[in-house]
Amino acid sequence: MNVSHGPEPVKGYRSQADAFDAEILQCIERRTVPDFNDLALRIFAHQLRYNEPYARYCASFGVGIDALPNDWEAIPPVPTQAYKEAALCTFDPAKAALAFETSGTTRGVGGKHYMESAALYDAALLAGFHDAMLSGASARLRYLLLVPNPEERPQSSLGYMMRKAAQAYGDGEERWYLRADVLDVDAFVSDARRAAQERVPVCIAGTAFAFVNLLDELHAREIASLPLPAGSRIMETGGFKGRTRIVGRAELYEELSRIFQLPQERIVAEYGMTELASQYYDATFDAARIKRSPPWLRPRVVGPDGKTLPAGIVGALVHVDLANRSSCVAIQTEDLGLAVPEGGIILLGREPGAQLRGCSLDAEQLRAIART
Amino acid sequence: MTALADVPVRNVLAAIADAAVRWSDADFPPRVRVTGRIAERTGYSVPVVEYALDRIFFSITQQELGATIRSELGSLAILDGFASRPDRPDAWAAPAGSVCVISSRTTIGVAIVPAVFALCAKNDVLVKDREDSLVYAFFETLAQELDEFAHAARASTWSPNDERAPDLRTFDAVAAFGADETLAAIRGMLSPAARFIGYGSRASAGYVTRESLGSREQATEIARGAARDLVLYETEGCLSLHTLFAERGGAVSLEEFGGILAACVEQANVEFPIAQRGAGAAARIARQRNLAAFRAAGGRGAVFASDAAEYAVLVEPPSSEPPQFLPRTIGIVGVDGPRDALAYLREHALRLEGFALSEKRADLMRAAVDAGAVRLARFGELQHPPLSGDHGGWPRIAEFVRWIDRTL
Repeated sequence: MNVSHGPEPVKGYRSQADAFDAEILQCIERRTVPDFNDLALRIFAHQLRYNEPYARYCASFGVGIDALPNDWEAIPPVPTQAYKEAALCTFDPAKAALAFETSGTTRGVGGKHYMESAALYDAALLAGFHDAMLSGASARLRYLLLVPNPEERPQSSLGYMMRKAAQAYGDGEERWYLRADVLDVDAFVSDARRAAQERVPVCIAGTAFAFVNLLDELHAREIASLPLPAGSRIMETGGFKGRTRIVGRAELYEELSRIFQLPQERIVAEYGMTELASQYYDATFDAARIKRSPPWLRPRVVGPDGKTLPAGIVGALVHVDLANRSSCVAIQTEDLGLAVPEGGIILLGREPGAQLRGCSLDAEQLRAIART
Repeated sequence: MTALADVPVRNVLAAIADAAVRWSDADFPPRVRVTGRIAERTGYSVPVVEYALDRIFFSITQQELGATIRSELGSLAILDGFASRPDRPDAWAAPAGSVCVISSRTTIGVAIVPAVFALCAKNDVLVKDREDSLVYAFFETLAQELDEFAHAARASTWSPNDERAPDLRTFDAVAAFGADETLAAIRGMLSPAARFIGYGSRASAGYVTRESLGSREQATEIARGAARDLVLYETEGCLSLHTLFAERGGAVSLEEFGGILAACVEQANVEFPIAQRGAGAAARIARQRNLAAFRAAGGRGAVFASDAAEYAVLVEPPSSEPPQFLPRTIGIVGVDGPRDALAYLREHALRLEGFALSEKRADLMRAAVDAGAVRLARFGELQHPPLSGDHGGWPRIAEFVRWIDRTL
């Protein structure tokens, strides 16, 4: 097998990579992938040539350049944790245009997702964000951001994404409120009130945990209502990893809707991860909040044998993201979900582990002890 | 006065042993009824439930009970009244009074043994039973053997805020199984004078020396036992094998040993079929398998697992990672000596219940003791603590009696 990546790319790599990027960019711009299967398999073959750790992993399943699958669903997904074990990219990671740190979950051991082309990443995130978040937006939004500021945390893919979105679609006055993991609630309240006075619709983006934190702080300040201008919206992302206070999503959205006097359909959950260039968003008009992907990103729900499960059966989520051209096209996550017959997935979140029963053994507790 | 106060201890033991004999019969109707309920509650396969019930009830014999009591208290007679003791004052091991045994989130029948010993000490005993009502059904049999048990042995289910929940301040001794937070909460509810016997969260480990990996035959013998320790009760018990240390440098390499262990796990899976699993547990095992496959592809370690991730044997996972605590999943952590194993256990703050050893070597036993283990055993016997053993590091009966000395 011809496998290599490093400072001296194999001859032909550059032209092949550029051609792929152009093709994928075109799919993103047109919001359509003429032949997903074909493109996914070609990108996969490209990665088998140039992404050595991924190629070795696939070889252990009997998959290689000489034994390519003929279906995108048969592309071996790399477990997300593998990003903590190796530089999974088709190029010299020292030359990465973007490098985002993967979350270390609660153990704090992180990896990196290296991307060769910022243009591809930007196009994928902006297209997805635009289509999911900005429908019906008549004016440019002001972005009030409860996510890491890229100035402070340049390795955060979420911060990068929101800066890009704010730059592309904002009114030029975006604000960041998370500093050293502390939320500047007073500044947020002041800015939200000013936007209301100026009648500038806003987009508030944050993790679920940040929103819970914000609600707690508003409650502590006896602020029962902070009405946002018409056309405002909220993007909620992420979960409660490693956090102690967990609130049900329905409860959280109800409270956000009440305080900001925002219809619940204007609260959109984004589902993404550092290991992916593209994101899923809620189809907000579905009561079940089905997550939809852009055409260049497809989910699979798999059983323990890695085979795709029928719709409605709970399994592990695998994502095939064509915009991951320079890393791994297929990713196996730690999340559970189920496919919906009409398309899309319902995300059930991370499985905390079987409730272990031992005679005195509380595995979650033991895990927690081990983490500390 | 407790309900059993005037019953000679030999009669108490005989009645308990007779009830256990009836429960040792797999066709005994109450056992048949309970078996299905336990399988439903735990998800374990019926052969595993049957095995667990056999282990409990075959072990409860008059001889074993008597031997344990004599060892801990000096004699049986001392439970019936004042008895002489060599070089010490005459004494009576009177009942502590009322005893509550609380078992939650446990495997099968964990409350029965402490309840039995509390009854041997003639206490009034209340057990917080599980939904399968195993203890309740066994106590019914006890009452058929001896009328006084109808009042002395009671079992019930309740939840923390339940109206039926007993006032724990009224008990003289409480034995409880559960997470540390649960135990702390229970302890806080007791009368200051009450005894508290807590069985907290613990794990178990094994250690294989390079000498034990001197040949495939030796390695297979060890692996057979380790597989049984791993698969029984879906690796959920405090005495299940959760991590396995193996010394490098044996004639059988760690990778080869991993393959042998995997083959033994597959055999054990036939004898003890896999429990019903949720999608989450299956997905987690599959993820561990795939991550180990990724590492193995990069030349680090090896993995042996079925396609459907029914089990996984991970060879040389990074020592920075704690045990997986997943059903039928184990990491073989390569070590150069017991010191490495101790360092691993300390790094991950693992409190040990059992330590299976491939040989009776002094430095290994010392390491096991240093690791906090309260049970050292051969592979294959880790999950079979003897009735007379000190489960959880506690004596069996001594905490359930109130000593009264007589010097007049």
